Amino acid sequence: MTRKSMKAALEAMMFTWGELLPVKTAAEVFNEDWKEVYDCLLELKEEYEQQARGLRIREVDKAFQLVTSSDYGDYIERLCTPVKKRKLSQSALEVLAIVAYRQPVTKGEIDSIRGIKSDRVMEGLLNKELVKEVGRTNGIGRPILYGTTQEFLKHFGFSSVKDLPEIEDIELAIHVEEGEKEPDPRQIRIQWTPEEEGKPEKDI
Amino acid sequence: MSYKVRMKMFEGPFDLLVYLIENAEMSIYDIEVFQITKQYFEYIDQMEELDVTVATEFMVLAATLIEIKAKMLLPRFNEEGEAVIEEDPRKELVTRLLEYKRFKKASEMLSFAEEENRRIYQKPQEDISRYTEQPDEFLSMDLSQFIQTFHVFLLKKQKMEEIRKEYQRVERERMTIDQRVRYIEEFFQTAGVTSLPFGKLMVKKDRYEAAITFVSILEMIKDHQVDVHQPQPFDEILVQKLSSQEREKRIALDEASKKIIGEMGA
Repeated sequence: MTRKSMKAALEAMMFTWGELLPVKTAAEVFNEDWKEVYDCLLELKEEYEQQARGLRIREVDKAFQLVTSSDYGDYIERLCTPVKKRKLSQSALEVLAIVAYRQPVTKGEIDSIRGIKSDRVMEGLLNKELVKEVGRTNGIGRPILYGTTQEFLKHFGFSSVKDLPEIEDIELAIHVEEGEKEPDPRQIRIQWTPEEEGKPEKDI
Repeated sequence: MSYKVRMKMFEGPFDLLVYLIENAEMSIYDIEVFQITKQYFEYIDQMEELDVTVATEFMVLAATLIEIKAKMLLPRFNEEGEAVIEEDPRKELVTRLLEYKRFKKASEMLSFAEEENRRIYQKPQEDISRYTEQPDEFLSMDLSQFIQTFHVFLLKKQKMEEIRKEYQRVERERMTIDQRVRYIEEFFQTAGVTSLPFGKLMVKKDRYEAAITFVSILEMIKDHQVDVHQPQPFDEILVQKLSSQEREKRIALDEASKKIIGEMGA
């Protein structure tokens, strides 16, 4: 099988499949070496990007999927109105960051880092399937260990947990930005903003 | 129109503390505990004024701040008056704050990544059952086997046809007594006679016919529609249709006798 036709076949398979197509599954179809198929998929992904197609290929945990390009999100939103906005809360993002960088991690460790209980937030993340139970520690009470899911990688556009940037790098990047010193939005103040009523903010 | 009082919330005590330290442009490694504690309590007071339930965790950190403040006020001398180099009481708090800050940064990065990826749309798992269900069935036999099977089929068909030639499929006729009574009435009418032999009233000469006709005749006798005569045993039974006057007479007689029997019983 030529490389070209394998790539074309993979494209067809991804179209039919819809969800993430694991490289392993595809390799079994071709009865080919895993690495060979993986390289083809990477090449195809690259081609899509170079040609600036409306569709892109996304890699998550050694699985590939056809998705839309974020450049044309506007059109999709206009086509499928109203689009459900799925933005996570600040606390959810904090818990997720801890789980992502510290996994496997217990709820106790998360609470201790944040200085506040995270049970509710954790429940929400479990329901959204962004985190999952990955086992138990041997410590007292054998607390549950949590880790991130494939859904987490998809949601934030990481191809694997290893793809997460080093925290030190983030800090460095943020330090540079700090030069501009934007006013912190979390000023302790009371605002009269009736026009913002509909926004999903915490109300007092 | 109602107005809502809005105030930005902090995700937890550390979030608040980090904000206060940064806002005061203090070094996290050299926190001015007095000033920060004052501000921290001001914030908690404010929350209480707005009738917000202050999470206990905020109070725990408030207590920690006071403890640190107290430790820092105490003279660092032991009983003999020698200076004791003690660990900075702020150290543990600073370590925890730094760790919190690291993850806070990571969460900001995630927020950014989320925004970047929000506009990518995917398709859910396709329902491929229409391809997987009812797969085409293939005959697992070669041509000679197929021909042989076909021959067997033809032979069977031929045999069946031969049998069908000689035998007829029979079906049982099902007629109710009511239907048969009506048939007999019509029969008398069309024949234009008042008396007929029993055999003539049967459609076919078989046991079922004989039985249903006989029961129907009995029913008609009871109803005073016909009378039967049999001159000798095993002779042909003659069925005689009664005239309407005769019938009424008999019905009246019947009722009268019933009445007498009833009176006798009483």
